[in-house]
Amino acid sequence: MTQPVLSVRNLKVEFVTRRGILRAIDDVSFDIAPGEVLGVVGESGAGKSLTGTAIIGLIDPPGRIAGGEVLLQGSRIDNLEKEAMRKIRGKRIGMIFQDPLTSLNPLFKISEQLVETIQTHTDMNAAQARQRAIDLLTEVGIPAPEKRIDGYPHEFSGGMRQRVVIALALAAEPELIIADEPTTALDVSVQAQIITLLKKLCRERGTAVMLVTHDMGVIAETADRVAVMYAGRIAEIGPVREVVQKARHPYAKGLMGAIPTLESSAERLMQIPGAMPRLTAIPKGCAFNPRCTEVFARCHVERPDVIPVGLSQVACWLYDTRKEAAA
Amino acid sequence: MSAQAQNASTSGAFVTVRDLKKTFDVSKPWLERTIERAPKQFLKAVDGVTFDIKKGETFALVGESGSGKSTVARMVVGLLPVSGGEVMVDGISMTTTVDSAAREKLRRRIQMIFQDPYASLNPRWRVQDIIAEPIRAFNLLSSPKDITDRVGELLTLVGLSPLDGVKFPHQFSGGQRQRVAIARALASNAEFIVCDEPTSALDVSVQAQILNLMRDLQDKMGLTYLFISHNLAVVRHMASTIGVMYLGRLAEVSAAKEMFRSPRHPYTRMLLDAVPDLGMSGRARIPVQGEIPSPINPPSGCTFHPRCPLVNDRCRSEAPLPIAGVACHAVQEGRMGEMAARKLA
Repeated sequence: MTQPVLSVRNLKVEFVTRRGILRAIDDVSFDIAPGEVLGVVGESGAGKSLTGTAIIGLIDPPGRIAGGEVLLQGSRIDNLEKEAMRKIRGKRIGMIFQDPLTSLNPLFKISEQLVETIQTHTDMNAAQARQRAIDLLTEVGIPAPEKRIDGYPHEFSGGMRQRVVIALALAAEPELIIADEPTTALDVSVQAQIITLLKKLCRERGTAVMLVTHDMGVIAETADRVAVMYAGRIAEIGPVREVVQKARHPYAKGLMGAIPTLESSAERLMQIPGAMPRLTAIPKGCAFNPRCTEVFARCHVERPDVIPVGLSQVACWLYDTRKEAAA
Repeated sequence: MSAQAQNASTSGAFVTVRDLKKTFDVSKPWLERTIERAPKQFLKAVDGVTFDIKKGETFALVGESGSGKSTVARMVVGLLPVSGGEVMVDGISMTTTVDSAAREKLRRRIQMIFQDPYASLNPRWRVQDIIAEPIRAFNLLSSPKDITDRVGELLTLVGLSPLDGVKFPHQFSGGQRQRVAIARALASNAEFIVCDEPTSALDVSVQAQILNLMRDLQDKMGLTYLFISHNLAVVRHMASTIGVMYLGRLAEVSAAKEMFRSPRHPYTRMLLDAVPDLGMSGRARIPVQGEIPSPINPPSGCTFHPRCPLVNDRCRSEAPLPIAGVACHAVQEGRMGEMAARKLA
């Protein structure tokens, strides 16, 4: 078996507040293989984006990584010095954020931003770097890149800006790309273009992608595997078909049923009662138990860990052979 | 035009929008204009939109950002003055009638739900005051006890507890806030509610709750909705009739079921093809081309022609008029077969 590009082991992230320590990410583990797209979904506050931030080491105090390991190509990166981590970001891990306007500096030309990134991570001279920047823009589908490269970010439309951001992320040929809601700020028609582009580039280069989004449709189209997160933990992780069509965790089931689709003809959408608990009031046992329709005694007492069910892994006592709580 | 509107209202339309237009002045400041000898510049945000909504129905407007959906919504409720055309609700013109008394009466029956429940509720007011405001503003009830009872009733109706009335908006989650906004819209016994992207700021599981609530209320109280959204799947779930907007014009108006089964306008087809597919049916699709152009300087002829796979010379020069709900030369000339052929290729 090939070594995974990224390996996250029992990651825990905590925030120290006046009201005590809040655990925002609790025991999250997953791998991403070369060329694989892992989708991470969940509601706001489930810890999706924070997982991404933790991997690239950008958690600001009062937040901190309280336990677990992050391995890039088998070596730990979560305990590196700031300077060493800074070299990895951009070079080995590329990042694409939600809002393409805020991730580009409005005062610099696209060319300056691309050339700077390329020269930081490679030893090209200015002319080579500029040529490389033009090649990158061509690759992400920007028409007339020789002309457009000297434009400022405000001269580009939302979709075009996101293409520039993707070009920036690809500049140093990273092994892993973390894309945090890359299409949320875009219109559907443009969203489809960006997804297709991202998928094509990764397939061609064998880059691993962690795609964080709340849009299940995007995941279904793009990802190879999906992790469904709830209240800082992974509820279910498995191949995309398996999770979308045969979701096993009651939360994942509810989530899939709640999404209106073009094909469905149901009069009412399935709805999950209630809302996700606040970090200050995570219930004992399984965090989903107050909203779960299939809750039983053990759920209130013991917290489930992920167990293999079919091709997926599910954190739910329904799939454990032992149904009662440990005495 | 007015006679036509009269016809429509007798044929059962509750809301009639005729040739609605909105032009914004986007000129540079006077001094700059004088120095540069530049002419005034206008942006046609909405350019001749016509549709009817029957009582108890949901009419949805879909389209990309900048297509003018929200501008139409704002003009329909009267938040924006119209630049041309007419809006009639229950036979009373909102735009041209001199009879302001009749229009004032009509105001009570029209309410709006906004996109962002974090911005549309006053953070310094208790929820009971927020909901009671329309009751007080329209003098519907006078005794404080009656008002309290009515607010409690409304809160129960939208799935909250009457005891929640004393709380402030920040004590609620996004979905609960949107419920408060719905309660406020219903407080004046509104019959026609304009919803501008009511669920796009919410998570999917909460979105499902709000959409279900809106449908239940419609069944219970016979509400009429004008529903604005960019999410086609949500629209498919809510609407009975759909209007697809592109650069301030309606490209297609069709019954919802009909549109999803057999979209007619090339733009509608493109939009439907672009929606990420949860079913992963692997249907054939035409890759979307380009982006919505700037409305300040729209393309000549049919404004969709630079992105259209079926464009010909006529499309570049002549703007199509809507015939049977579709404004497209290719549809009218029967050239749509080419699109299917392209899909297979």
